[in-house]
Amino acid sequence: MDLGLKGKVALVTGAGSQIGFGKAICLTLAKEGCDVAVNDIDLANARKTADAVKSPGRKTMAVKADVTRKAEVQEMVKKVLAEFGKIDILINNAGGMHPRGSSFFEQEEENWDKDFNLNIKGAMFCSQAVLPGMIEHKYGKIVNISSSVAKQAFPGVSTYSMSKSALYVFTRGLAGMVIKQGINVNSVAPGWGLTNFDPRDPEEIKKGFAPHTPIGRETTPQDVANAAVFLASDVSADIVGQILCVDGGSTMQ
Amino acid sequence: MDLGFKGKVALVTGAGSQIGFGKAISILLAKEGCDAVAISDINIDDAKKTAETVKALGCKSIAVKADVTNKAEVQEMVKKVIAEYGKIDILLNVAGAIMGGGPLEEQKEEIWDKEIGLNLKGTMLVSQAILPYMKNQKYGVIVNIGSGSTRMYSHGVSTYAMAKGAVDIFTKQLATVEAKTGIRVNCVAPGPSPTNFIKAPDKQAVVDMLARQIPMGKGTTPADIANAAIFLASDISGDITGQVLHVSGGSVM
Repeated sequence: MDLGLKGKVALVTGAGSQIGFGKAICLTLAKEGCDVAVNDIDLANARKTADAVKSPGRKTMAVKADVTRKAEVQEMVKKVLAEFGKIDILINNAGGMHPRGSSFFEQEEENWDKDFNLNIKGAMFCSQAVLPGMIEHKYGKIVNISSSVAKQAFPGVSTYSMSKSALYVFTRGLAGMVIKQGINVNSVAPGWGLTNFDPRDPEEIKKGFAPHTPIGRETTPQDVANAAVFLASDVSADIVGQILCVDGGSTMQ
Repeated sequence: MDLGFKGKVALVTGAGSQIGFGKAISILLAKEGCDAVAISDINIDDAKKTAETVKALGCKSIAVKADVTNKAEVQEMVKKVIAEYGKIDILLNVAGAIMGGGPLEEQKEEIWDKEIGLNLKGTMLVSQAILPYMKNQKYGVIVNIGSGSTRMYSHGVSTYAMAKGAVDIFTKQLATVEAKTGIRVNCVAPGPSPTNFIKAPDKQAVVDMLARQIPMGKGTTPADIANAAIFLASDISGDITGQVLHVSGGSVM
């Protein structure tokens, strides 16, 4: 299927991890004809991804920015625009959990702030920075990477879940606001994957899935990339403000 | 993007209408490389028209008459398709229609029964008939058609919307039960479409109304639904099951 992505420019945040969703999204976008700007807080990793994405005829660049810092985000977008002239697609993929699975009574406020700053404010800063250009061109696609846990009720308090859930509301509000200017905003909510996000042994993670995930396997970077790229393309132009759960059936809203 | 339809056989119900979603889906399945797309409709002449269009694209096709509310006809239809192609990999339950409306005080029970029969039982009967074949080959993809009207209560009391809401639940139930047998079940929920108002005397008034009511500013087209349906019918969405994807220009968030 021709997704109509040839010649489009995409910026993917948090795509430095070599086993992450972000890199798979970059690779799939490039395969479909996009030029890709790869962002990460770690420039060396961003470069690794940009190198992996390089293919004949495709332009890539690596750009360092901490998405929780507005000035760095604005600078990043300036650099990408200087290099590519436009940003058609923004994938708000940068995210994390600080720390993993702590008891509510032991949680530190500092970690609450880290979760909110990275998982929701980061997406807001990046969207704020790229939207003026998209509005000027009357064209844009923003895909926020949320999480399937945002819709599930686990016992316990998780600012990770809360901040990923905030992305749902952000997606809907922003989508309604900019759709008439030719900009689609949607979200992908991945299930658990074998990425750097979860530092445990992959075999240990896998053993946990079969009883808990209807399909019985982990969500792969390619699963997420396929959905994100579908939502970043013109074939999904009538899809506005939706959250697509890519989690083996874990969430049935 | 290769959607992996080579070698696959699809059955699309309610694909007789020459302006409907079913025909658009059938054409796209053919274009994207399906080996065969069987066309079913209560009107055999219409089904044949669609089958001819599919064949002209170089894809095998047969037209089969069936009233999806009649169990015997449904069983016969599935037998015919299996006899012709040996398998059914993909089922698209498109057969459906709006028959009633108006204030509750004036609604007829007979129409309630017909709307629920066609829009809910029809989808269940066809899925029931095909399931043994899909389970046998440990592979199958079912895409149901829902409706944005399930969330638009200002449209009034509607057994069409209620039946489509039940299809959403059927989608999630069947997806959960069959998750580990290699069968995925999802639903595409269209928003208001100009084809819903085909009998309206003032076409421009319909276009203007849709522009006011829908965030996108225009109605959902058969192409929009076909794109979403084949994304969910393809193995690239292999980690997605039990989902209702609203394709409605932001009417439903």
